[in-house]
Amino acid sequence: MNSILIANRGEVAVRIIRTCKKLGLETVAIYSDPDKGSYYTRLADHAVCIGPARADKSYLNINSIIAVAKAYDVSAIHPGIGFLSENSDFQRACEKEKIIFIGPDARSMDLLGDKANARKIMINHHIPVPPGSDGEINTYPEAKKLADEIGYPVIIKASHGGGGGGIRIVYDAEKFETEFKLVRQEALASFGSDSVYVEKYLENTRHIEVQILADDFGNVIHFGTRECSMQRKNQKLIEEAPAPFIDDKLRKSMEDCAVKIATVVGYKNAGTVEFLLTQDGNFYFMEMNTRIQVEHPVTETVYGIDLVKCQIQVALNHEFVLKQDEIKVKGHAVECRINAENPAENFKPSPGTIGNISLPSGYGVRVDSGFVGGDKISPFYDSMIMKVICSGGDRDEAIALSCDALSELEIEGVSINAEFAQAILKHNDFIKGRIHTKWIESKLCSELFGQI
Amino acid sequence: MELFNKQIEINKKKPKRNIETLTCECGKEMLTALVHANHSTCIYCGFLFKIPAYRRIEMIADLGSFTETDKSLLSTDPLHFPEYKKKLMIAKKVSSLKEAIICGTCEIEGLKTGIAVMDGNFMMGSMGEIVGEKICRLANQCMKEKRPIIIFCASGGARMQEGMISLLQMSRTSIALNKLADEGLLYISVLTNPTTGGVTASFAMQGDIILAEPKALIAFAGPRVIKQTVNDVLPDEFQTSEYLLKKGMIDAIVERKDLRVKLKQALSLHR
Repeated sequence: MNSILIANRGEVAVRIIRTCKKLGLETVAIYSDPDKGSYYTRLADHAVCIGPARADKSYLNINSIIAVAKAYDVSAIHPGIGFLSENSDFQRACEKEKIIFIGPDARSMDLLGDKANARKIMINHHIPVPPGSDGEINTYPEAKKLADEIGYPVIIKASHGGGGGGIRIVYDAEKFETEFKLVRQEALASFGSDSVYVEKYLENTRHIEVQILADDFGNVIHFGTRECSMQRKNQKLIEEAPAPFIDDKLRKSMEDCAVKIATVVGYKNAGTVEFLLTQDGNFYFMEMNTRIQVEHPVTETVYGIDLVKCQIQVALNHEFVLKQDEIKVKGHAVECRINAENPAENFKPSPGTIGNISLPSGYGVRVDSGFVGGDKISPFYDSMIMKVICSGGDRDEAIALSCDALSELEIEGVSINAEFAQAILKHNDFIKGRIHTKWIESKLCSELFGQI
Repeated sequence: MELFNKQIEINKKKPKRNIETLTCECGKEMLTALVHANHSTCIYCGFLFKIPAYRRIEMIADLGSFTETDKSLLSTDPLHFPEYKKKLMIAKKVSSLKEAIICGTCEIEGLKTGIAVMDGNFMMGSMGEIVGEKICRLANQCMKEKRPIIIFCASGGARMQEGMISLLQMSRTSIALNKLADEGLLYISVLTNPTTGGVTASFAMQGDIILAEPKALIAFAGPRVIKQTVNDVLPDEFQTSEYLLKKGMIDAIVERKDLRVKLKQALSLHR
């Protein structure tokens, strides 16, 4: 191992490059036309333009990325987050060219990427899933019968969906037929398969996930829970580790469940098992993400590990020597995602050139930024600029520090959501844990901006 | 806290890099490997770079299925045309080929076919005695073996240094391919940029199915000559694949990335 190509951009590319540098690995960055000169391309040892703005011609072009990897003779590729990170064809293409893919194998990506199939596996292994179909359900009469049985609201999801697409919630029986047909059409158009499944839609749930790490020797360990209910339109805004307001027994059963899931699918490398937690304390498997997550730094902070380094080591077939009971969580961490958007204008993206930046710092403050002053926030890709991760001895301290840190943050040239994030952090519901995944949309936004 | 049984070791071996670049007509510079990975098209503007004959075969034929025929047939200088021998020598050096066409047999997704690919790097892909002879021989072989035939055309026309002998190849190749048609065998011609002159006037336009790459110049006499002759403004896109498709001269325009699949479809329908 001597060099890694980072098949990604922005903040996550910076994150991966930093770990590579620390380990003495040479880095090759790829960029699309509008990302020319972006911070991560300057941090990397080499940077190669791979095409125009459109992601399918640049960051999603497997042939191009493999060609660059071969031209630079890299040992490994890190796919980052999004783009090709959960694409099993990309993993296979790397394998064919004898390039190490830093992530799970294609088989487990396929198993878990097909959401209906994943649901079936979980049912077979007695992992709790929301009431619904056994696997995919593709005829209307069958689906309608099932929906009537489990009761409305129900959620219809595309088996191969992702990124919030191909999902519809149906509140009353009359609308089921039209919605069912619409999801199937949408799924066929967006994901190339009209296979869908039906689940009971659970309201007022929290999103809690477990970080797992599996080596190639059958060892699976977890790095505890994260609370990610602070989302808007399925996009997380604030995440915490460990997840607060759950007792140790519940926490342990979620963690054990996540380890069991990774074990039964023969998973390797870092992954995240996402659960829904209902107000009455039942949890259900939602999905497993076969990659590193945006919010991984909160886990790194409370466990004192570098997850990207762990990913590289697992990919190199290193074996765990530490046992689960030797891994201890310490303190609490809160991450706020800072996006170039304007919350007051319905979160309209605010692309543009960043002027002066003033970053928070000090004890317990970690800033993972993808950009520096002078960089452009491109309208072509997601609008996240940076993440501010604050830690303290307990949750209150981490929240207080986060508020202070965000008030120190200044970014000229684009609108950011820092004040909005502070409004969450200071809200009594958030502090007291009266939260669920629709809380921002249904409560906070109307409090701040009135009815929209 | 150490999680793993060992540390990451950095291999000090120097990587074998091949990072040559090329510049497209649109002015952008890019890694040559990227152009190859994208079917020899510019990753920005979609410009189609010239494809050397052997690379074209690699792109179309199943891996390892190509067997070259008549590799040793070499052009002579029958008319003792001034400088021709020297030009042939330079062409060989520039193109790393022995002639302007490569012929042989191959499989496409397991379907057997004869294949001929012209290479514009060798004296503009012009047709002389040997180009004609190689096509005739391939057509005969395909007839014997009941194979369809695919010809990728790229040519400036007849090879003027061979005079009448060169023009004769127009009728020879046409007759050979006609015989193939009489046997009920499929001939697909693929017109690439540029396909002109004697090649257009003979086998290029004889295909049962005529495909073309986008924006290829396909003509007998080129636009400059036509313009001087008619002394008028020429229509937009004159003599391009797109123009010819509109006028019903060709059957389809196929993007490079889809060519292999389309050829496979045509071959499997014909079987």
